[in-house]
Amino acid sequence: MIQDLHQQHHLSRRSLLKSTLVTAGGMAVANWGALFHSQTIAAEAKRSGKRCIMLYMEGGVSQIDTFDMKPGRPTGGPFRPIKTNVDGIQICEYLPKMARHADKLAIIRSMRTKSVDHGIGGYHMHTCYPSSEKFPHPEIGAMIAKYCENPQSDLPSFVKLGPAGCNAGSGYLGPQYEPFVLGTDGKLPGFANPSAPPAVQDRRAELLKSFEERYAKQRPAEPFASHREAELRTIRLMRARKAFDVADEWTKARERYGNTPFGRGCFTAVKLAEAGVPFIEVGHDGYDSHNDNFPVHKANLSVLDPAWSSLLQDLQDRGMLKDTLVVWTSEFGRTPAINGQGGRDHFGRAWTVVLAGGGIKGGQVYGASDRDGFEVAEKMVDEGAYFATIYKTLGINHRAKHYLGSRPIWATPEGSKPIEELLA
Amino acid sequence: MNDFANAKVLHTLPWNSAYITSLAFIGNDRVAASSKNGEILIWNLAVPAGKTPDPVRRLVGHTNEINRILVTPDGRTLISVSNDRTVRYWDATSDQGEPGSVVLNDGFLPKGVTEKVDKVPPPPPPIEVKLIVQKPLRDLTNHTEWVMGLAQTPDGKTLVTGDDQGVIIVWDLPAGKELRRWQATQWIASLGISPDGRTVAASQHTPFIRFKNGLETFVPHFHFWDAVSGQSKLDLSKEIKVGMSAVVYSPDGKWLAAAHGNTQTEKNEGKVFLIDPTTGNKIRELAGHPVGTNDLAFHPDGKHLFSSGRDQQIKIWNLDDGKLVREFGKFADRGVWIGALSISPDGRRLAAADRAGQVLIYSLTT
Repeated sequence: MIQDLHQQHHLSRRSLLKSTLVTAGGMAVANWGALFHSQTIAAEAKRSGKRCIMLYMEGGVSQIDTFDMKPGRPTGGPFRPIKTNVDGIQICEYLPKMARHADKLAIIRSMRTKSVDHGIGGYHMHTCYPSSEKFPHPEIGAMIAKYCENPQSDLPSFVKLGPAGCNAGSGYLGPQYEPFVLGTDGKLPGFANPSAPPAVQDRRAELLKSFEERYAKQRPAEPFASHREAELRTIRLMRARKAFDVADEWTKARERYGNTPFGRGCFTAVKLAEAGVPFIEVGHDGYDSHNDNFPVHKANLSVLDPAWSSLLQDLQDRGMLKDTLVVWTSEFGRTPAINGQGGRDHFGRAWTVVLAGGGIKGGQVYGASDRDGFEVAEKMVDEGAYFATIYKTLGINHRAKHYLGSRPIWATPEGSKPIEELLA
Repeated sequence: MNDFANAKVLHTLPWNSAYITSLAFIGNDRVAASSKNGEILIWNLAVPAGKTPDPVRRLVGHTNEINRILVTPDGRTLISVSNDRTVRYWDATSDQGEPGSVVLNDGFLPKGVTEKVDKVPPPPPPIEVKLIVQKPLRDLTNHTEWVMGLAQTPDGKTLVTGDDQGVIIVWDLPAGKELRRWQATQWIASLGISPDGRTVAASQHTPFIRFKNGLETFVPHFHFWDAVSGQSKLDLSKEIKVGMSAVVYSPDGKWLAAAHGNTQTEKNEGKVFLIDPTTGNKIRELAGHPVGTNDLAFHPDGKHLFSSGRDQQIKIWNLDDGKLVREFGKFADRGVWIGALSISPDGRRLAAADRAGQVLIYSLTT
């Protein structure tokens, strides 16, 4: 377990002020990042070597039409359950490929969450805290990047592909852990292509380094090292850009993943995880089905099913699944009741998320909603327990303490505990 | 010419256990309604003044939502298509069957079951009605997924159906025999067949996959297909760029009307297009219903088109000049949809169903 590093993380008012002064003029990213990513801290952090891929269903996915079906009930809707490769677990008929991976899944059917609109729900399910706190909490991707990254990697530690359900970013962890955001096709923007060959880049970097070292001898403030590191990281990213270029392999993979942006995002996520990126979020939008919930979900599940199942299969085939946690989540669920527009509305009282892979005991359903899906009937799970479970599987102390100024803040709220039954 | 100024509601028929998906008159005095629960109720409207009709027949057999129903021109057969992947034929006239009952209010009312209430209110006392329960005459299982589109020729000889796998099937209607099929690329959201049986007009639309920079373009398509060869005769996808909830030929074959259903978006769109059935040229764009048009029905007078929408309204349009003749209902941008329409063969009654589970029967007499 990673130790609490609050002493090293303590960001004093004085140092913050100093950083801010130095960074005036557009260098804030590098400088603030340095305060949190000093060599001292990096040397003491124990990297878990684990990874997480989060599949985020933007808009609010319906639990009753996916993993918590209510056949024969007035709330059930037109989808039917099918058997899976685990006795007793049934899921939606439009997830037939995922049904063959149920032995890898821990289906939590008892989520009760408090923020039931898109902005606040996306924030809460990405940070573990309500947005009403007005505090710069980091996204889960930034937290995992901080504790699971390889500081020597050329690749970013927190990558987002496709539609995003939250833009909180790295919050109080600092810009070092800001997400590296890519479009739906997963390709790097054109400016990421270096204008000079690697040998020239190296010579330029050395030259820059020598100038900066001479300059810094007179001015030992850490921000200069950070500035240099940021530039070097950029150069390294340019070198690593091929990790994002999956075009050749995609031609073969797209039949399995589905030739969709989400399918390609899932395939890219596997490649990035394989290359060493500790956290990748892949977004899939279009679930906010206040109207026409059933055709909407049927269409979306036809995209989700091949992509998610292929991602799990490829992780397994590459021997990566045991160290890669795969999270399927959303900002909230959808109402059991079907409204006058054939839709389902926002719902946080009893909904479903799914965990799989590294650290998770698969082939189980945890918790339950009542017969029509209006309330949690067994083993309620709140945001804190959900985040604590994820952090524990990745070897992160879910009560890790950090500071913003003199204010302490924890990775999950007080009282949050991992769900031990879900852990392998 | 009838301007429908005296149109009024004759009956309000409750069925709030499930929303109603489609309507069809059987002759002039009976109306059938299908539901999301997969059942069909039939009401006999010939009741003494001041009395509200009760349903008299319940057709059971579908196991999932029914998307469309129609009654053959001779009034003898009712045909339904469903998410249970079947096409079913029913005897539209027989009163024979097993005695049974239906509870008209056993569903959840939309009110009170959302996130904003702590507890679902207790259900109201059941409204139970005795009736005859009937089974289908024939089940056609040639489709493998949700059957969305259903239309027939006015001579009752040809039937066409379409599903969400993009399969269109042309049938010998009396025999229930598949004549031919072809494959489109997306969901068949709605379709119609020309009165001469030679052309199938179909709207393809895969719902809610709004890829901005997608690897595949799930943009809606609109084609005229040759009903004999299955070949595309005309691709109107560049002219009609949205998905249609209803595609209907006028019985005289002069008009093709298509309603933008505005499926899965919340933009203010819902025009009705009047199209030349021969050339495919857009003759007129009617304002339609600003948040989406759900259904269309040509009046037997050949001069008017009725539309219903997601704005809680029913509108009557003059085909010659495209002007709005009359509208019923109070506009609401997120109200209870008027989902389905049907006009009696004599043109004297209109049936309209809302998503709260009511069938409204209007008198259209002058």
